[in-house]
Amino acid sequence: MSKKNMQNQNESDLYTSHVLQNGISRRRFLTGAAASTGAVALTGGLASTAATAATKGSEYAMSSDGGASLEFMPKPKPIADKDIVSTQTFDVVVVGAGASGVPAALSAAENGANVAVLQKQAIVVSQGNTGSGLDLSKCDKAGVEALVNRLMADSAHRCHPDLVREWAYNSGEAVAWVIDRAKKGGAQVQNQYSKVQHGIRGLTEYKLNFHTSYFGPKPYTTGDGMRALAKYAEKQGVNFFFNMPAQQLIQDKSGNVIGVIAQSRDGKYHKYMAKKGVILSSGDYQNNKDMCNFFIPDLKNFERKQMDRTGDGFAMAYWAGGVIEPIGHTKMLHDFDAGPASMCDMPFLAVNRKGERFVNETTAMSLMNNYLRDEENAGHYSQVFDSEYMTRAKDWPGKLYDPEQIKIYMPEDPTPKKNVYPSQINTYKADTLEELAVKLECDPKIFTANVKRYNELCKKGQDDDFGKPVNKMAPLLKPPFYGIHRRMRISTLCSGMLVNKHHQALDADGKPIGGLFVIGNLGGGFYGGVDYPLTVFGLSLGRCYTFGYLTGKHVANL
Amino acid sequence: MKQLTLKNIVLSLALSVFAAGAFSADKPLLESVHKDLGLTCKDCHSSKPFNEPPVTACFECHDTKELAKETADHPITNPHENRHFGTETNCNYCHHQHKESENYCGSCHLRFKLVTP
Repeated sequence: MSKKNMQNQNESDLYTSHVLQNGISRRRFLTGAAASTGAVALTGGLASTAATAATKGSEYAMSSDGGASLEFMPKPKPIADKDIVSTQTFDVVVVGAGASGVPAALSAAENGANVAVLQKQAIVVSQGNTGSGLDLSKCDKAGVEALVNRLMADSAHRCHPDLVREWAYNSGEAVAWVIDRAKKGGAQVQNQYSKVQHGIRGLTEYKLNFHTSYFGPKPYTTGDGMRALAKYAEKQGVNFFFNMPAQQLIQDKSGNVIGVIAQSRDGKYHKYMAKKGVILSSGDYQNNKDMCNFFIPDLKNFERKQMDRTGDGFAMAYWAGGVIEPIGHTKMLHDFDAGPASMCDMPFLAVNRKGERFVNETTAMSLMNNYLRDEENAGHYSQVFDSEYMTRAKDWPGKLYDPEQIKIYMPEDPTPKKNVYPSQINTYKADTLEELAVKLECDPKIFTANVKRYNELCKKGQDDDFGKPVNKMAPLLKPPFYGIHRRMRISTLCSGMLVNKHHQALDADGKPIGGLFVIGNLGGGFYGGVDYPLTVFGLSLGRCYTFGYLTGKHVANL
Repeated sequence: MKQLTLKNIVLSLALSVFAAGAFSADKPLLESVHKDLGLTCKDCHSSKPFNEPPVTACFECHDTKELAKETADHPITNPHENRHFGTETNCNYCHHQHKESENYCGSCHLRFKLVTP
C-alpha cells in the first residue's frame, strides 16, 4: 500500500480503514503478489515460489495476508458469449429476493426504474417476524443518539456509526412503508409500535418510540410477508426471475458493474444488464461449510436453520473488487420457538445438555451459544423452573406465560398448537426432577445433583458459583417442574462487504465500485460484535427493510 | 425423456406407499423402481461420465404442484410444499436413487418423523 493511500485511510473513518487494512480483497492479494515479486528480485532466484503464489491467486481468493488460498471462493470461469442464450436490459438488477431485496426492488420501481429480481430459489425466502424502526415524530434526538450509542456498544464499538445512524434516522419511514405496501399485497401484518420493545427499557430518559412491523403470528412469518410484498411489487412492474441464481457480475473496462450472468436450472446462461446498478442482497454463507469455518470457526458444531446460503454474493462482490470484512464475523443464534420468546432472557436455572449449571443466567440468550460451542452441547441448553414460577419471576424482565398459556409450547400436551411452529416447540412438564431430566435429554443424576446445589445456593441467598443476584435465584422445590429445551441454531450471519453510507461497495483503495450496491446480511459495517444484539427486537429485519428501501430509491435516481 | 405418461404411474406408486405409511426395512432402492418402469441411465444422466442430474430431470415426469396437492393432507406436514422451497424442493434432498432415501426435514424439525420412499 502506498504512503498516499495510507494517509487517505487515516483521514477516513476508523471502521473503513480497519476493513481496508485487514479485510479480504482481490486487490490486496495482487499488492501482496507484487511485493513478493519484489522480494524475488532482491534475493534472486526464487521465481518459482512467486509464480506458484500468482497461479494460486488467479484460481482462488486469498486470505488477507496472502498466505492461504480460499478454495471456497474460486475465480469464476469465463462464460463465452455463445453460451449466453438470452440478454435483457433493465435499469436495476437485484440479486436475491428476501427481506432487503424485495423492498429494494419495489422502492426502485416506485422511483421509476425498470427492475429485475434474480432469485436462486423457486420462491421469495425470508425468516423471522419482527422488523423495527424509529418513529422519529415521537423521539427526542438525544434519545435516538442514546440508542445509537447503545447499538454501537452492543457491537463492541466495531461497527460503522454512519450506517447505524442511517438506520436510526430512516427506519421508521421505511418500516411504515413496508407495512403499507405489504398490506396492499395481502400480507398478515400489523404495527406493534413500541409495545414489544422490552429491551430498551431504562436505556434513555429521552423519548424513544418505534414502528415495529410484525408478520405473524407463527407459523406465518416475514417469508410469507415478503412473498405478499413481492406480489405487490410485481403489480408495480417488477420482474421476478425465479430459479435463476446469479453466477457472475459483468464489469466494463473501468471495473464498473454493468450486469449479471445467471444460470437457469437447465444449465443455460442468461445476461441481465443493469443501466443504473446491481444491488446484491443474497444473504449469508452459513451453508458454505469451508467459508463458515474460515470466517467464524465458533460455528463448527451448530445446526443451520437456513438452506442454500452459500455466500454467492460474497464471491461475486469479491471478484468484482469488493472487500470482505476481516475474520471474526457477527453471528445470530437463538431459539424463539421452543418456549415463549418473551421468557428467553429470564434468568431461570439453566443447564447444559448433560444437566450441569454452566452460566450466570442473567446472560442473554443471544450470547448463550458461546458456552455451548462444543460437539456435545452443540447449542443445546434448558431453562428450568418449578410450579411457583409465576410468583418467583413476576418482577423479572420479559413476560411470563402462565401454566395454561405455556401449553402451546408443550408437544406432550393435547392443547391445539396455535401461533407456534408445532415441529419446533420443546417445553416439558414433569412431576419429578428425574422425569424432567429425561424429557430434556439430560443425565438425570447430573441434573438432580445440579438442581440440589442450586437450591442450596438459593436457600443461602448467595450464588457462590456464578454470582447471580439474589432476587434472580428461584429454587426448584414444588412440582410440577418445567423445562424449556432451547436449541441455539444459526439464524443468520451478519457481517459482509465493505460499503459506504449509500450501500455502494468499496474497493481495496476505499473507492466506490461503479454500479455495485450491497444490502441485507451481505452488507458489512452495521454490526461488529461477537453476536447479534437483541436490544431492539427486530433490528435485523428493520435494517434489511431500511437499507433496501433507501438503496432502491438511491439507485433508481442515479 | 420418453414416457410422460409415466407421471401418473409413478405418482400413484408414491401415493400407495404414502397411504401404507411405512416401508419395510428391506425396501428396494428407487433406482430399481425406475428401472422396472423401463427407464435407463441416460434418461436422467445426460452425459458421460455420469453427471449429477439436475432436478429438472425429475420434473420431466413428476409434476411437483400436483404432488403437493396429493400430499396436502399429510398428517405430519406437507413435505412437497414448504416455506423453504415452495413446491420445488430438490427431490434429491430426500429421494435418493442409488442409496437409501432420507428424512431431510427431520434433521431440524423435531417430530417430523417422515418415511421417505
